[in-house]
Amino acid sequence: MHLDNIPPREARRRGPDGAPVVTASGVTKTYGRTRALTGVDLEVRAGEVLGLVGHNGAGKSTLMRVLAGLESCDEGRVTVRGRHAAPGAAAFRGVRMAYQETSLCPDLTVAENIWLSSRHCLPRLRRRRAAGAAARRRLDEMFPGHGVSPRDRVEDLTLARRQMVEIARASLVDALDLLILDEPTESLGPDAARSLYDHVRSLTARGVAVLLISHRIGEVLSVADRVAVLRDGAVIAERPAAGLGEHDVLTLMGAQVAERDAHRPAPSAGLPADRPVVAELRGATGSGLRDVSVRVGAGEVVGLAGLAGQGQQDVLERLWRPARRDAKVRATRAYVPGDRQRSGVLPLWSVAENLVVTAMRGIARRGLRRPAEEREVVRSWVERLAIRGGADAAMTELSGGNQQKVIVARAFASSADLVLLDDPFRGVDVHTKTGLYRLIREEAARGRSVVWYSSENAEMAHCDRVYVLRAGRVVAELSGDEISEERIIAVSFAEPDPPTAAGRAQGAPGRERPQEARNHG
Amino acid sequence: MNVRVLLTRPWIWGFAAAALVWVAILAISGQGGGQTVSLALSLAPYLVVVGLGQMLVITAGPGNIDVSVASVISLAGFVSVAAAASTGSVVLGVGAGVAAGIAVAAVSTVAILGLSVPPIIATLASGLVASSATLSLAGGFTAVPDPGLRELLNLRPAGVPLFAVAVAAVTAAVVAVLRRTVYGRSLIAVGQNRRAAERAGIPVRRVIAATYLASGALAGLTGSLLATYIAPTADLGTRYLLDSVAVVVIGGTLISGGRAVPTGVWGAALFFILLDGLVNLVGWSTAAQNLLKGGLVLLVLFLAGGGARTPGTSLPSLRRRRRPAAADTTTPGETTDG
Repeated sequence: MHLDNIPPREARRRGPDGAPVVTASGVTKTYGRTRALTGVDLEVRAGEVLGLVGHNGAGKSTLMRVLAGLESCDEGRVTVRGRHAAPGAAAFRGVRMAYQETSLCPDLTVAENIWLSSRHCLPRLRRRRAAGAAARRRLDEMFPGHGVSPRDRVEDLTLARRQMVEIARASLVDALDLLILDEPTESLGPDAARSLYDHVRSLTARGVAVLLISHRIGEVLSVADRVAVLRDGAVIAERPAAGLGEHDVLTLMGAQVAERDAHRPAPSAGLPADRPVVAELRGATGSGLRDVSVRVGAGEVVGLAGLAGQGQQDVLERLWRPARRDAKVRATRAYVPGDRQRSGVLPLWSVAENLVVTAMRGIARRGLRRPAEEREVVRSWVERLAIRGGADAAMTELSGGNQQKVIVARAFASSADLVLLDDPFRGVDVHTKTGLYRLIREEAARGRSVVWYSSENAEMAHCDRVYVLRAGRVVAELSGDEISEERIIAVSFAEPDPPTAAGRAQGAPGRERPQEARNHG
Repeated sequence: MNVRVLLTRPWIWGFAAAALVWVAILAISGQGGGQTVSLALSLAPYLVVVGLGQMLVITAGPGNIDVSVASVISLAGFVSVAAAASTGSVVLGVGAGVAAGIAVAAVSTVAILGLSVPPIIATLASGLVASSATLSLAGGFTAVPDPGLRELLNLRPAGVPLFAVAVAAVTAAVVAVLRRTVYGRSLIAVGQNRRAAERAGIPVRRVIAATYLASGALAGLTGSLLATYIAPTADLGTRYLLDSVAVVVIGGTLISGGRAVPTGVWGAALFFILLDGLVNLVGWSTAAQNLLKGGLVLLVLFLAGGGARTPGTSLPSLRRRRRPAAADTTTPGETTDG
């Protein structure tokens, strides 16, 4: 079951002869007044990877839930292997879904989670061990070097590892017909993404159908056999992936392909001397960092790049709570979390209340809020970022992209001089992202500083300077024209010694180590 | 506000239940409907004051609860009566009672924030400290409550206890604090999602400390006034532990935090006081009364968890903490966009 066994991609292509696994015809779905699906016809065939793309709000999530038999449709029908199936029917047992915002129980261990969802295909006797073994086997198969132990509590895992467990959980079933992957690589590093897609190919070689939903168009195009474009609740195009360019897909989705370099600042070498330093780390060491020095000037956008989990978030943490002496932060700060369900959304509040909670402190006089001023701030930001639903909508009614807009607005609406971004644009559609990039540049032009960690290297093009981290060290500082995706990837991977287990153990301190050591050693 | 909107207000149920019990009392005893209300209005405010403090604590999020209120009430009763008797000043007496409450709460706060002790254990421990202090005070206690204050607490022009009016004003003040002050909003944010509140720049620890101190102060105030109204005894506050939590829950405040309903505390407190009257009238024992109350709290929590299907009125206490809820809620969300 390894790379060698998989036939080359062209030979693998079956075209339309693969038998349809799940078929949706004329499916509509309405929530309240909004029509999520307006008549979807889609067929997922055995042995193919079908890529599904569309903006946030195009109806992807709803369609997936209908195809997985979790939700009924208002009109139309869903058939599984040619037979009409009602939601929850046994026919859907072979259809499994890995959610973007994982569906694992945070208080249970990995093995217990696996047991919960795959118990019908695991032995009842010594179930803990069976589930643990199954989890470990599948994780080893999908993500070699994953560093997850079946006994780990899900809550203690990093986002990337939770995602791995989620995907492994979804694929653990005796007869898998269709595997639905919802933004599977958003939290994964490039290595894990690659091994996931290798596994996906081995699944399709065995005749399993895979439905891949992703905002990363390039990835979809390289993995999928066919691409379906969803727009306003209907499939508006279905094309073979071969010969389709990223630009074509974006155009089909209705995006105006943004010029990335429009707001690109003039190249500058290092931190310009005339800029006052608002925040600084000097030789920060410990808790995931080794001798990291970072300077942030006023009005500067500083990027933190590199592979996921190399200490970027620890840098942000130090700047957010400068407790030690090696961190000097003179500016007031605001934070935009990346894990929005866990550390962003205040679920009982409206958009307005969520948006203004940080700014409120600055607006208030002697501890008393000033509602009129707050409303003005909310109004201007809802307008500026075009937040759908408006100020009075409940936060949980918004789509992920719009929730993220609110959380970004929350930070920028405050009077903070330094805004820390913790990979906030994961799973956000191209349109929204482009708007938010512009916002960041505009705010920087007004003298605000931004420190921005992103797992998407292309985003770093919007920064003035970029620190590339690897294993808790700064391995490169790029500025101006030096900042390019290729360059960042080159420095993130380049290393004096090859990344052998021993070399990494030496070079990587911090929290990643103990678990890996436990699993491999 | 039409009836349908009114029914979605979480505080309405406490008042509705109170009215129901009142009708039952009227039907059984066949007399003195107004008198019953007047009596309930003079007893309920004590429960409301301590309940408001408990409500603030519970609003601070999952796990937050103040089980020291009962001991604080008893302790504050002795402290305030003693202080008033020795200084001759009622204000100083009540102030001393409040200070005693704050002191006990300070012990809880240090344990919760400094030593990361779970709140239920921390407040249990500080409650024990308070009750041993009470016992040492109670031995050979001779001071009597100030008659002037007692008269004031008993004052009922036109059948409406003045004290109830004052506590209604306090309740309005708590509503204003929650809506209009930075502290109030911060508390509600912390209760909804502590991590998110921290990332939004809210000084979470300070907010939580202030909340426990406020609860201690309000319990201290209750103890001071209750001791003057009845008499300082070592078990003055005992019944207020269960009752303070119960009125908060029945009043519509989310047990998992993030939503406070001060008005509901009033409705639930009246309900409880009237229920006591009804049960006494029927001739049930104290044990049976407690059984009934405990059952009611469970029932309300069950309804809050199970009946949370309609948006807007939902009490997502149980749903909020599950991860898949995130996936659930984004699904309809996606559609508002499309």
